Amino acid sequence: MGSDRLSNQIRRLRLDNGQMTQQELADKVGVTRQTIIATEAGRYAPSLPLAFRIAQTFGVPIEQVFQYDKEQP
Amino acid sequence: MNRVQKISLTMVITFSLGLFLAIVFIVMRLFDVDMPKIAFLFPVFIAGSGGIISITCFKKDKGDIIFDERDKLIEKNANLAGFGAVYLYVILMSFLPIGILGEEGSIPVTWCPALLIGAGFCQAFAQSIAILVQYSRGGKDG
Repeated sequence: MGSDRLSNQIRRLRLDNGQMTQQELADKVGVTRQTIIATEAGRYAPSLPLAFRIAQTFGVPIEQVFQYDKEQP
Repeated sequence: MNRVQKISLTMVITFSLGLFLAIVFIVMRLFDVDMPKIAFLFPVFIAGSGGIISITCFKKDKGDIIFDERDKLIEKNANLAGFGAVYLYVILMSFLPIGILGEEGSIPVTWCPALLIGAGFCQAFAQSIAILVQYSRGGKDG
């Protein structure tokens, strides 16, 4: 059975949006900085509402923020 | 490290110390080292001190948002781990006396409250470890 991986572009999008800090993003989407760190590092898969809030903060579609890769078995 | 992590770390340290001391005292007792029965309360006090330290020393985290969906998930998983640990503890404590004392053996009824306290420590210990493990997966600051 293959493993799934959720990659993201949060770090790049933060930097593209006026060097936004992790704390600023966390405050905008309503989570702690720790959650942003874990999400950015790919160690935490956010809920769908949070994923949408992050995408809306950057003003881009959700698929530009998160990419789903299913590894072949 | 947030407040929950600090509390969990304190709990793990104090519980480990208390457990270690309890094992040392039991071994000393087995080798007939003379010591008062009240001394057995010392490891319990050490283990319980984690809760007192946590309440008095760790203040609330700064910032508007101190608890979110990830914390909620971690808390839920930790509660499950704690419940599982207590379940195992109950199974172990139900069968261990039979294994050690035999079918005809008996234990004092005063052990029952002690077993209950043990279950509480077991739950808190497993929960604290589960919290630390889950937060450590979040990276250096996660």
